[in-house]
Amino acid sequence: MNKYELVCIIHPDLDETAFNESIEKINGWITDVDGEIKTTDIWGRRRLAYPIQKQREGQYVLITASIPPTNIVRLEQNLRFLEPIMRYMITVAK
Amino acid sequence: MEQFNGSDRQQRGERRYYSRPKFCQFCADKSIKIDYKQVDLLKRMITEEGKIRPRRQTGTCALHQRELAGAIKRARNIALLPFSGEHTEEDR
Repeated sequence: MNKYELVCIIHPDLDETAFNESIEKINGWITDVDGEIKTTDIWGRRRLAYPIQKQREGQYVLITASIPPTNIVRLEQNLRFLEPIMRYMITVAK
Repeated sequence: MEQFNGSDRQQRGERRYYSRPKFCQFCADKSIKIDYKQVDLLKRMITEEGKIRPRRQTGTCALHQRELAGAIKRARNIALLPFSGEHTEEDR
């Protein structure tokens, strides 16, 4: 089990309920791949430094979790196909 | 950056001299953690065009400059920092 940080940029047009739903979905996937969620930090709306998918804003979420390294690929496969995620990044936490 | 004269530099092919701080601020203060999430810190380490500032401008040591470069590149990936310049309202 390694510690990872996952940053997601979620589409700004999503309302709060849909936004929370997608976060729960992500958290569900992490537990699906035998991961353990440590913290879920919602940064809220931020202006993007450059437009992504023609959007100038995004809703940021930072999730820290312990995940077995071999299962990261499976998590990424799921993240790639969730429509409201505009961008994601998984990094190893120090 | 105002005193920067680009055309002059290009003609003579010289590096402009910066009176740089003679110490690395990350070595001096060990409590500063270089992290891609610290946008305010990283903003100071890039130029107006979004390029990573060279060591001769910031005075950072080689070890921390490498760490910094990695953090800036990560921050660019998730749109916390620009890849090039600032995007204005007009460029849609």
